[in-house]
Amino acid sequence: MAAHSEVYVLGGYQTDFGRNWTKENKHFSALMRESVLGALERCDIAPEEVESAHVGNFAAELYCMQGHLGAFFTEVHPAFSGLPTSRHEAACASGSIALLAASSEIEAGRYDLQAVVGIEQMKTVSAAEGGAYLGTAAWYAEEADGIEFPFPKLFGRLGDEYDRRYGLKDEHLAEISKINYANAKLNPNAQTRTWYMNKEHALCRTEDNPAVGGRIRIADCSQVTDGAVCVFLASRAYAEKYARGMGRKLEEIPRIKGWGHNTARLRFADKVAESRDDEYVLPHVRSTITSAMKRAGIEDVSGIDGIETHDCFTTSEYMAIDHFGITAPGESWKAVEEGWLEIDGKHPINPSGGLIGAGHPVGATGTRQLLDAYLQVTGQAGDYQVEGAKNFQTLNIGGSGTTSVSFVLGV
Amino acid sequence: MSSSHASPSPSEVRRLLASRKIERVVVLGANGTMGYGSAALFTQAVPSVTFLARTKAKAEEGLAAAIKQVRSPTVASRSEVGDYENDLESAVERADLVFEALTEDFAIKKQMFDRVEKARRDDAIVATVTSGLSINELADGRGDSFRRHFLGLHFFNPPNVIVGTELIAGRDTDPELVDFVEAFSRTRLGREMVRTADTPAFAGNRVGFKVLNEAAQMAETLGPVLVDRIVGPYTGRALTPLATIDLVGWDIHRAIVDNVFEKTNDEAHDTLRLPDFMAGLMDRGVLGDKTGGGFFKRDGKTRLALDIGSGDYKALSEVPVPDMAYVDSIAGLYAQGRYREGMAAFLAAEGQEARLARKVVAGYLSYAFHRVGEVADEIGAIDRIMGMGFNWAPPSVLVDVMGPKAAVEMIGEAGLPVPEALVSAAKSGEPKRFFGHPHINIGRFFVAG
Repeated sequence: MAAHSEVYVLGGYQTDFGRNWTKENKHFSALMRESVLGALERCDIAPEEVESAHVGNFAAELYCMQGHLGAFFTEVHPAFSGLPTSRHEAACASGSIALLAASSEIEAGRYDLQAVVGIEQMKTVSAAEGGAYLGTAAWYAEEADGIEFPFPKLFGRLGDEYDRRYGLKDEHLAEISKINYANAKLNPNAQTRTWYMNKEHALCRTEDNPAVGGRIRIADCSQVTDGAVCVFLASRAYAEKYARGMGRKLEEIPRIKGWGHNTARLRFADKVAESRDDEYVLPHVRSTITSAMKRAGIEDVSGIDGIETHDCFTTSEYMAIDHFGITAPGESWKAVEEGWLEIDGKHPINPSGGLIGAGHPVGATGTRQLLDAYLQVTGQAGDYQVEGAKNFQTLNIGGSGTTSVSFVLGV
Repeated sequence: MSSSHASPSPSEVRRLLASRKIERVVVLGANGTMGYGSAALFTQAVPSVTFLARTKAKAEEGLAAAIKQVRSPTVASRSEVGDYENDLESAVERADLVFEALTEDFAIKKQMFDRVEKARRDDAIVATVTSGLSINELADGRGDSFRRHFLGLHFFNPPNVIVGTELIAGRDTDPELVDFVEAFSRTRLGREMVRTADTPAFAGNRVGFKVLNEAAQMAETLGPVLVDRIVGPYTGRALTPLATIDLVGWDIHRAIVDNVFEKTNDEAHDTLRLPDFMAGLMDRGVLGDKTGGGFFKRDGKTRLALDIGSGDYKALSEVPVPDMAYVDSIAGLYAQGRYREGMAAFLAAEGQEARLARKVVAGYLSYAFHRVGEVADEIGAIDRIMGMGFNWAPPSVLVDVMGPKAAVEMIGEAGLPVPEALVSAAKSGEPKRFFGHPHINIGRFFVAG
């Protein structure tokens, strides 16, 4: 294990998550093209500089009848023909797995500049069909087959488990939803930035906010989203050269200071059974978070200025609050009540709006989180900037808390 | 007109938002489309919104429509209803913002503002959603406090879908207040705010309806099917022009172009003259979608098109349209995100239809760039309202994608005045980017259809 990570993030580009690429009659390749060309231009990097590319994607075979996504990178620019590329899949954590693969190749000294593209086009199919595709992120035959919208139900059970162990009030979940939607209004790339939402709506228990899985209602859910995010990772040598070219100091270029990665058993029931005697409901997620902090040399969450976490449902953010150590286990509600999660609070979570507010193009989410962390620690997050942020941490989760990946990005 | 306007820093935005509170909004004319749509929008961020109309029953109708539009019970829980006769003064005296959405009639608005001026608190904001009347004329003769707190806040219909919003300060509007309304509308209501001058139809409708009306004029000889094919999505719009006029309503279209035609006299004046056939058909009750048909209508699943000579409708399948293979090849390029290549194919396409399409696009670019300094300080403002208010490729985006040299040639070929900014960019040879809004994806405007 590298004692001291030397992987730098040079920035990137996110497509507007509010777009519906099916309505624009666009092919998957247009989505990749816009994100990569956008990133090259935004970061002022010539295409010839890119040495390798990693694509994170969950299920293009299902949504778009298209596999072999790494190869599509070569379609973006003539200079990319012949580059080594690959595709990575770990359900909703696919984007972060692609980042891990790229960063380990940099650490191994194989390449100096890597493009990482997280991408998903989901609006090609109906909500019900898409819901079934997402079910393949669980153990499909055991947990999803024949069940309408299996994932809200699985994450409803996460809420039930909290309720059983510690007690849980729906109004705290509604508050989480409200904060994410409110933050999304500040993010020009957020899918829901123009949607109608307020706390009362999130709390309402009528047909305007119907239940989709136990205690999970529509306002508790992340979105079905089309989107792609391309970021560039670089070695120290390349980052030094890049910083010089941009008239900046190396210290101003954010670095992946730490990472965590764990995979728990697939079935939700098995996870909960394993954690029966643990104070954390999902101890492997906790371990992912703490190992990223440890590698970054950060003792606890007080050293983290903001978090981009995986709120695929309000219950997953509720879980993240105590798993990050913002509160004692089971007391996430305190952070909600104290206002700590707001952009100007003690522990801002999802200033971007997260998966609920900004959107959740499954394979792109991990790269979107890292790009938002980059914007935060370089002071470029605009209206959703956490003032003075130096260290940001991400948490990206695939399945029902199955694959988890966390990065600490800082300057 | 406001001076050139840069985005304020996040801390400046937070300071502005903290500088005043919008907790009570009164909407006047809350039974009209813009009235209830705007009122619905306010309820998401404002705890108390009062829907006022001529009668309480009308206000109730507005509230019901608002609830239906945004499908949230919080619209009802945050709203009250009332009528002008009994409730106006008591509602206005408590309001932080009075939002006027009455019918577009100067005398009616003036009369209402007399009452609002008497009842309002000294610090209350008064905004009008007018799309046709002058902000300065509406404020004329009013007291200092009213004039300082009065501005135009022009939402586009329906406001819950279209985020582009024009903000028009009057001569005496407090600049700090304008900054506040912009910050509030952007961060709390999710609006894309564009500052425009107090000129007829402001920026969006001035430029947009010029293009729409030119398409309507072309329909007289070419017929609506061919016109909407020529000025189709591949020219940088989601909805074709004549279908747009049907959606907006022919009466609204007439009100806007007549107003601009009467009050302006620019280089494209003739393109703003309402075609006679539209006036004739309107006399027979044709107003577009709201009357069941305009240029197009539906008969069950069959889409019909207007035969302008006879006033009858024919199935689209029976209307002959020339082969326009170039449109499909452009769409194929757009589908892969190859917008430059698609635009190059558009510029190179041969035939009468392609030439007509380029003439319309050239007219749009020429007209928009010539309005800089008149309707807005910079092309960027026109770009944003065309992009986010009309969902059309902004003029600068088209220039960037085709290149200034090609744009200059296209406009010249169409026999239209070439904007100086494009001429100098084409001459300098330096790569110049006209579109300066990094958060707006230009790809969204190149619809592959």
